[in-house]
Parts: sequence; structure tokens; C-alpha cells
Amino acid sequence: MLDFQLALSQPEAHPSEGVYDLIVLGGGPAGLTAAIYAGRARIQTLVILGPLPGGQPANTEEVENFPGFPEGIGGADLARRFLAQAERFGARLIPASVTGVDLSIRPFIIRTDGATYRAHTLVIAMGAVPRRLGVPGEDRFFGRGVSTCATCDGFFYRDKRVVVVGGGDSAIIEGLYLTRFAREVIVVHRRDQLRATRIYQERAFANPRMRFLWDSVVEEILGEQTVTGVRVRHLKTGETSIIEADGVFVYIGMEPQTQLFVGQLELDEHGYIITDRRQRTSVPGVFAAGDIQDPFYRQLVVAASTGAIAAMEVEKYLELYPQSPQGSDRW
Amino acid sequence: MPLLSDEIRQEVSKILANLPRSVRLVMFTQEVECAYCAETRQLVEEIAELSDRITAEIYDFQADRAKAEELGIDKIPAIAVIGAQDYGVRFYGIPAGYEFTSFLHAIQSVAVGKPDLSDATLHALAEVRQPVHIQVFVTPTCPYCPQAVMLAHQMAIASPLIRADMIEATEFPHLAFKYQVMGVPRTVINETVHIEGAAPESIVVAKLREALGG
Repeated sequence: MLDFQLALSQPEAHPSEGVYDLIVLGGGPAGLTAAIYAGRARIQTLVILGPLPGGQPANTEEVENFPGFPEGIGGADLARRFLAQAERFGARLIPASVTGVDLSIRPFIIRTDGATYRAHTLVIAMGAVPRRLGVPGEDRFFGRGVSTCATCDGFFYRDKRVVVVGGGDSAIIEGLYLTRFAREVIVVHRRDQLRATRIYQERAFANPRMRFLWDSVVEEILGEQTVTGVRVRHLKTGETSIIEADGVFVYIGMEPQTQLFVGQLELDEHGYIITDRRQRTSVPGVFAAGDIQDPFYRQLVVAASTGAIAAMEVEKYLELYPQSPQGSDRW
Repeated sequence: MPLLSDEIRQEVSKILANLPRSVRLVMFTQEVECAYCAETRQLVEEIAELSDRITAEIYDFQADRAKAEELGIDKIPAIAVIGAQDYGVRFYGIPAGYEFTSFLHAIQSVAVGKPDLSDATLHALAEVRQPVHIQVFVTPTCPYCPQAVMLAHQMAIASPLIRADMIEATEFPHLAFKYQVMGVPRTVINETVHIEGAAPESIVVAKLREALGG
């Protein structure tokens, strides 16, 4: 069955000239929920979607824990609905990535490769990116046998053998997805039990194509032209062994995307943006939502809720500090 | 049965409203239609219905060989997205799934006819003196892929010497094999240089220079 994903708005006649009331950085559940709320409040909003329009649901096969979808909903379908809903209430969506920000002047300045935008307020919702293993062979084979996107690359592993590294929800959900293609999926996990939600664990243990290697870490990705396997070390015995595999999918957690904000916003020791209960950051007028400021939960529904809070705070902020029509600042 | 739901048609109509110039979707199929040839033809026809600035032209890859050669089409299903001129924007395989965004973006972009790239990139592309062929391998379920495809197509619009193809890897497994595609997006420039993943403009420009031996 064919589906059609849309993450785009009508082009602007004169792009990047005016000052937006709000620019949302990142088009995942947090950013798009902020855009939905802002649009309904008639706040003029631009969403710079970033590399993954729709956010992490877009590379998830199935979402089962978002309220309102008792049968579950395809991640791509949910992502499409978020985008359509934001667009419906008037947000402009552009398929670009943020390359620079200046939070020291007002209006704030946001740069993409092709343009510069200005806004009175920002909601930063750029999420998190998959953490890498940091072992020999990983960089060399990334995109050529090492992947962090099963929905993207699963097709290339038909009847092959793959290793999934990790033991959380993502590792198990994506591992289960890969069993549709691969003849065997070997989960390598550093602990002796999974961290994934019980319901996923049950499915994984019941799946005849899944196998588990406990208390083990991947130390190297092996191969000449293509990946041929991984070297793993057993943490309790210290023994190393070689597991033959054609591909390696890495799901060992996420890292916040905050490099652009170092020195401009207060970050915690792990790089997450520090926010208060009203999603305010250390710079007035700049709010953050979703995984980029959430070291604890990283759930779709939580991200969406912080996006809603951020947009409601943007509305209050714009009322308190109204801007002149020309967008000249009065700070 | 239409391919596009009413909801999607409405969204697409909005996105394609006010195209500044007309756009031709030149599609190649054949009498015994290939896998997804029929769907691709239908998609092109359904999109053309949504804007009076868009026309669909359907050709037979065998019978209209001269036309295919003129446009450099060497496999099907194929779509050449042509604006005021032929910028070299091509789709091989159906632009469904996440590539639907790339497809509509290509229509918008050739209608505008002005690339949305940084000044640094435009300067670099103005220096190009030899033909460049960019092939971006994708799967329809890859949310990161449109970024790579859209960038390649923008580069094609920017330079008369650059042509850029989206290639849907699952429909052309022999090409996926030939170019050792094990992950997407994978961009191949002039058969020699590869880029894994959706790289930013500056990296793609550097790789393009590398492919041209500079």
C-alpha cells in the first residue's frame, strides 16, 4: 500500500524579510504541538523542520502509547498528521535545518543554509539524535552496514543476519521490525535484562527470529568492504567473541541537539537545555520543549505537552511585550 | 481508485497554489507497465489535476525512445520535472512515502526557477565546468532522505551542468547492488564519490569538488 508524506508549505513570495512572532526550531511532536497551539492563538509562526520532519515518530514503525489510537498508529502516519495539523492552523513549515542562532540580539536571528530569519520569540524543539557506539569500524561503516534507522534501511537486510545494540524500547521495537526482513536479529545488551517496556519484551522473547546476548558490549565492527560481524566482550567473564552479521543497528539512547546553543543558553552537564515548569530557558523569550530539554522521560506525549506549554507561554510573553509592526525592538 | 486521499489532495492543492510558472511532469512508462509504473503514471496525472499550471505528459519508454534519450531517461518509471527550462531534475521510481515531499518540493522549485541555496554554495556551483551527475538512493520509508534529494535537485536548478536523480532503491535493486547501497540516503556523484546520510550543503559541495578532481 502506498502512502504519501507531506512536510511542506507554499513558498513565500518574499522569504525571510519580515519578523515572525514565533519561530519553532524543529518539526517533531514538541515543535509541531507548539505550532498548533500558536497557530490557533493567531501567532504568526514559522517552523524550521530540521532533518526529520515529524520527529522521531517518523522513523518509528508503530506508535502504541499515544492516547486516542487504541489500535496503535503508524509512526509515519502520526508524523504526517502532526504536520498537517500545524499547517492547518496557519504555521509555515519549511524543509530546512538550522545552522546558526544569535540569541544576544532582538529580534532573535536564526540561520539556515539558504536564508536568515528573525523572530520575537523562539521555541527550541530540535530533539535528540541517536548516540553512537564510539567503537572502531563504526564511522567507516556508518550508512554502509551500520545504521540507526531500521525503517530506512531494513529493506537492505532481507534474509540477512543483523545485530541490534541496546535494550531499551527503541532497540526492541526496531529489532522486532527488522525481523520482517532479516532471518536473524541478535540483540546485544550490556545488562542481563531488557529495559524496554514489558509488552515489547514479551513480543521479543516470543519472536523466533530474535536472539539475545546478555551482559555484552560491542567493541568493534568488523569487515573489509562490507560489515561481516562484530567483536563483543562479555562484561562478567571478560571473554571476547566474534558474532557474524551483515549489519549493525545501534539503539543505545539519544543525545540532545544543543551544540548551537553552547554559550547562549544554560545547559545541564549532559547538554540538555535547562527549563523551568513554564518551559522558559535562561533567555527571556526563548522557550524549549521536547527531548532537547528532557533528560528523564523522552516520550511522545510528554514532548507534545511541553510544546503546548511553550506555545501558551509564548502567547503570554507576546502580550506582555508587544512588538511594533515594523518589528523594531523595544527592549 | 485515486491514489491520493481527499485530505492529501486538499493539502497538495494548497501547497501548489500560486506556482509562478508552469511545470511539465514528463513521465515514462511502457505498454506492459513495470512495477509501480502504473501507480507513478496515476500519481503524475492526479497531481496535474490539482493545479492548472501543471501538465502531465506520458510517454512510452520503448515507442518514444527518442524522447527518452533527449531527456536522458534510462530506466522506468521515470519523471522529469521541467519548468521554464529542463534543469535536470529527475525521479526514478515512484515518489511515494517520504519522497512525496521531495516531489512536490521539486515542482515548487522548478516553477520558481531560483535555487534556495547559500551564497557560498552558489559561488562554488558557478565554478563547475564539467557535467555532474548526482544520484540519491532512497527508500520510501526513510524520513531523512528527502533532505538529500531536495538538496541535489536544488543544485541541479543552480547549475546547467548538474543533473540530479532520486532513485528509489527497492525498485532498482540492481543499481542498489551496483552502488553498494546498504543504507539510505546514499548520494553518488559522477560514479566516484559517495556520501552517506543527509549531509549539509557545505559537505555536499566539498564532495562535488572532490568528484571533479578539485
